[in-house]
Amino acid sequence: MEGLGLFGAGIGAGISVLGAGLGIGRLAASALEAAGRQPEAAGDLRTTMIIAAALIEGVAFFALVICLLMAIA
Amino acid sequence: MSATENTEHLEKELITEVDTSAHGTEETAHKEESPVTQILNDLGDHEEFSFGPLHADILPVILYDEGQFHFYGNRSSMEASGDYVMEHHHVVRATDHQAPDMNLSITNMVAFQWMAMILLVILFFTVSKKAKKSGEKAPSGVHNFFESIIVFVRDDIVQPNIAGNAGVRLLPYFLALFMFILVLNLIGLLPGGHTATGTIGVTAALAITAFLVINYTAIRESGIGAWFHHLLGGAPVWLAPLMIPIEIASMFIKPFSLTIRLFANMVAGHTVLFSLMGLLFVFQSFFVAPAIVGFATFINLLELLVAFLQAYIFTMLTAIFVGLAIGEHSHDQEHAH
Repeated sequence: MEGLGLFGAGIGAGISVLGAGLGIGRLAASALEAAGRQPEAAGDLRTTMIIAAALIEGVAFFALVICLLMAIA
Repeated sequence: MSATENTEHLEKELITEVDTSAHGTEETAHKEESPVTQILNDLGDHEEFSFGPLHADILPVILYDEGQFHFYGNRSSMEASGDYVMEHHHVVRATDHQAPDMNLSITNMVAFQWMAMILLVILFFTVSKKAKKSGEKAPSGVHNFFESIIVFVRDDIVQPNIAGNAGVRLLPYFLALFMFILVLNLIGLLPGGHTATGTIGVTAALAITAFLVINYTAIRESGIGAWFHHLLGGAPVWLAPLMIPIEIASMFIKPFSLTIRLFANMVAGHTVLFSLMGLLFVFQSFFVAPAIVGFATFINLLELLVAFLQAYIFTMLTAIFVGLAIGEHSHDQEHAH
């Protein structure tokens, strides 16, 4: 049964990282596209992008911490 | 008769002894074996000062147990007193091996925070002295370096998010927050250094200061009535039963997410580094070592970026939250029509 718990933790970590990767990938793609269309706004876009990336990353880290707690406990 | 009784007694004692010892070793083996707990233990906090190979038993142990405080000069004097012992890097009672009610010791991470504070105080006093002396001349050296950071925090973090007088008044807080997190992150990257921002208590305390600043500034700038009005989130009054719990939850989720973000970022990077270093001991081969050292160097450089980025993000998000808390009132009215 303990093995199943570890299995679940691993799968959970993988899925949450998948989601975060997709999210940040889409974010970076859109930001780059926007910067390509309007290069003078690149500085503002970068700041906004970093903040949004941090928010996505924060959610992913919530999931990862839960998985880690599952793996240790 | 008495002989059989004796042997029976002895047998019972032996059985219980074997039982407890077997149980004990099983438990210790389980705890010591797991590499995950081992790595997390290395990343965690201890009642001993350590910086690389330097281990010094110089930190006081302060325990609050059964209604009274216990002070010890250091860990070995605590163990010499016989009331408390160390078990799996934790302080426990010598009698029943339970953790004391509260452990308020000056731990390794506290020592590292003090190091960062002393460093910052020295640096900033030097810089302010230089700034006063140089007057109108262009800054140079350490003064130049810090002035660029201060201007960055002022122009890129505080001013765009917090308008007017509140931004000027809060600048020292944001500067201190940014520099403190940055220095703690960077000390953690020194060989043998420990990352205090990788302990959840430290990040939680930083987030609590952020929570207080957000709400204090909101009340100070727009008054207590407006602060209560924010709890409606701009929705019609009949939605209050729905909006008020959501707004109160979001008030607490903000600092909570700040806590987890900084903590998890610092721990994640160091866990990856530890795991890569662990591969060296798994393979024990000359051919694998250069690749692992290369990867570890790359991750270390990435960590350098993360150290700056996380200090920036924590400060930036706090500034945004303060700005939202102040500006929400007028913002809502703009959208109302």
